[in-house]
Amino acid sequence: MSGARPRGGPAARPAEDRDSAPWWEAVRRHELLVQRCAGCGMLRFPARVVCNRCRSRDADWVPARGTGRVVSWIVNHQPFLPGMSADEPFAVLLVRLDDGADAGADIHMYGNLVGADPSTITPGMAVEAVFVDIDDNFTLVQWRPKG
Amino acid sequence: MAAATFRDKAAIAGVGYTPFSRDSGVSTLTLAVEAILAALADAGLGVDDVDALATHRVGDSTPPWVVAPALGVPEVTWYLDQFGGGSVSHSVVGQAAMAVAAGVAETVVCYRAINARSEFRMGGTGRAPAPVFDVQYQAPYGYVAPAQQFAMAARAHMIRYGTTHEQFGHVAVAQRAHAARNERALKRAPITLDDYLASRWIAEPFRLLDCCLETDGGCAVVVTSAARARDLRRPPVLISGAVWGGGDSLLSGAGAAGGTDLTVSEASRIAPRLYAMAGVGPADIDVAEIYDCFTYSVIVQLEDYGFCAKGEGGPYVASGATRLGGALPVNTHGGFLSEGYVHGINHIAEAVSQLRGAAGDRQVPGAEVALSTAQPGYILAGTSALILRAGT
Repeated sequence: MSGARPRGGPAARPAEDRDSAPWWEAVRRHELLVQRCAGCGMLRFPARVVCNRCRSRDADWVPARGTGRVVSWIVNHQPFLPGMSADEPFAVLLVRLDDGADAGADIHMYGNLVGADPSTITPGMAVEAVFVDIDDNFTLVQWRPKG
Repeated sequence: MAAATFRDKAAIAGVGYTPFSRDSGVSTLTLAVEAILAALADAGLGVDDVDALATHRVGDSTPPWVVAPALGVPEVTWYLDQFGGGSVSHSVVGQAAMAVAAGVAETVVCYRAINARSEFRMGGTGRAPAPVFDVQYQAPYGYVAPAQQFAMAARAHMIRYGTTHEQFGHVAVAQRAHAARNERALKRAPITLDDYLASRWIAEPFRLLDCCLETDGGCAVVVTSAARARDLRRPPVLISGAVWGGGDSLLSGAGAAGGTDLTVSEASRIAPRLYAMAGVGPADIDVAEIYDCFTYSVIVQLEDYGFCAKGEGGPYVASGATRLGGALPVNTHGGFLSEGYVHGINHIAEAVSQLRGAAGDRQVPGAEVALSTAQPGYILAGTSALILRAGT
């Protein structure tokens, strides 16, 4: 799939931490999760132990809708890491998830654009998550225009 | 909220530089030592007068506990080895002023020494991403470099406020014109808006000429008490305001204030405290050295430090206001875009030169109050800034 491969080779493999491991594990199962605070119900991402609104430590993981809007984006040309080429520009999107958007959750995720050319990106464009298996242990969440 | 009480208690008494280059050929220890010795000589002080050292680094430089014995500092009573990049650059000098005001140190040398082109390129080329919280959610997408992170914010500003490529270009063109008057500057040949628009893409919406230089170099400033500075070789430059902090990490999820708006920098958070501490406002600033890792960072900070209305930073720079002779000369040395990139401290040193009236061909006539600012918090959650005042 166009634009789906990870950029930057081994240096760009995600360094999971003890908070984020469940999230990455779900991504490997092709599930997009966010945390939901048991105290106030606020959704949050990235994973953290305490709600920064009500300070509750109780939370569970819930499925995200997997849709969002493009807040901003870049089209990269400079080969910052091995595996990048100036001849292969690629987009990085900053996506604001629809989940909790009306409740002030303000959840953002990054990703590359897949299945479309960067020149077609517009502010606020609706996108949906797709899961791209890189290898047996590495899956990435990417974004394509919502059909 | 606590109110700072060290306004004008400490002063900058000396500044020193190594040459700036793309390949220093020497260690960061050597750069640190040479910059510190130059700053002490400028102040009319010697190594035996030093009792404290302060720096910041991100695994790319030499810490105080190596530099002090290399210089032969008799006894270190306080030191600071701050983790962080450009966003903490001005807090190093602020914390030195606080240490002096608290009486734990009398003469602090603040330095930054980096081979940011020949050894450790901030742009990320060849370097593994730093192991911080956000990286795992960004690096797999090839999103690893400050140029990309600031380009993302710049795009958001273009979307929200209609800021244009040409307005970014005006920042680069104005600063190059300033650098032409600065013998230390690495890039002195004038550029036009057409040159800017013809430069190659790095990460759209940024072109090559939106990006600062990558520089090998060292720079140091000497902080001591205002009273002592008055007896030294150079006119004292008082540290009137020194503030650091913030609240949100714009790239790693909303803080308590939900601050994920990329069009607002952390400067908007600290500016009120900074002006309150110094007892001045934006209209009192005669010259501003504004952290210009990229053209956009100047535009957003002009707004967030209150020099123009929110969203008007683009038109403000296009008006010529930030040129020498304009309403608010900005980055009179050429900034990181054209003088060189020493991660913040060379902005402080330039502000000192301006307030001494010693900036030569690029002197802002009658400059008495200067603002100098740090990376405005797009990468780490927080920023720092100083307001400096010509002392007597």
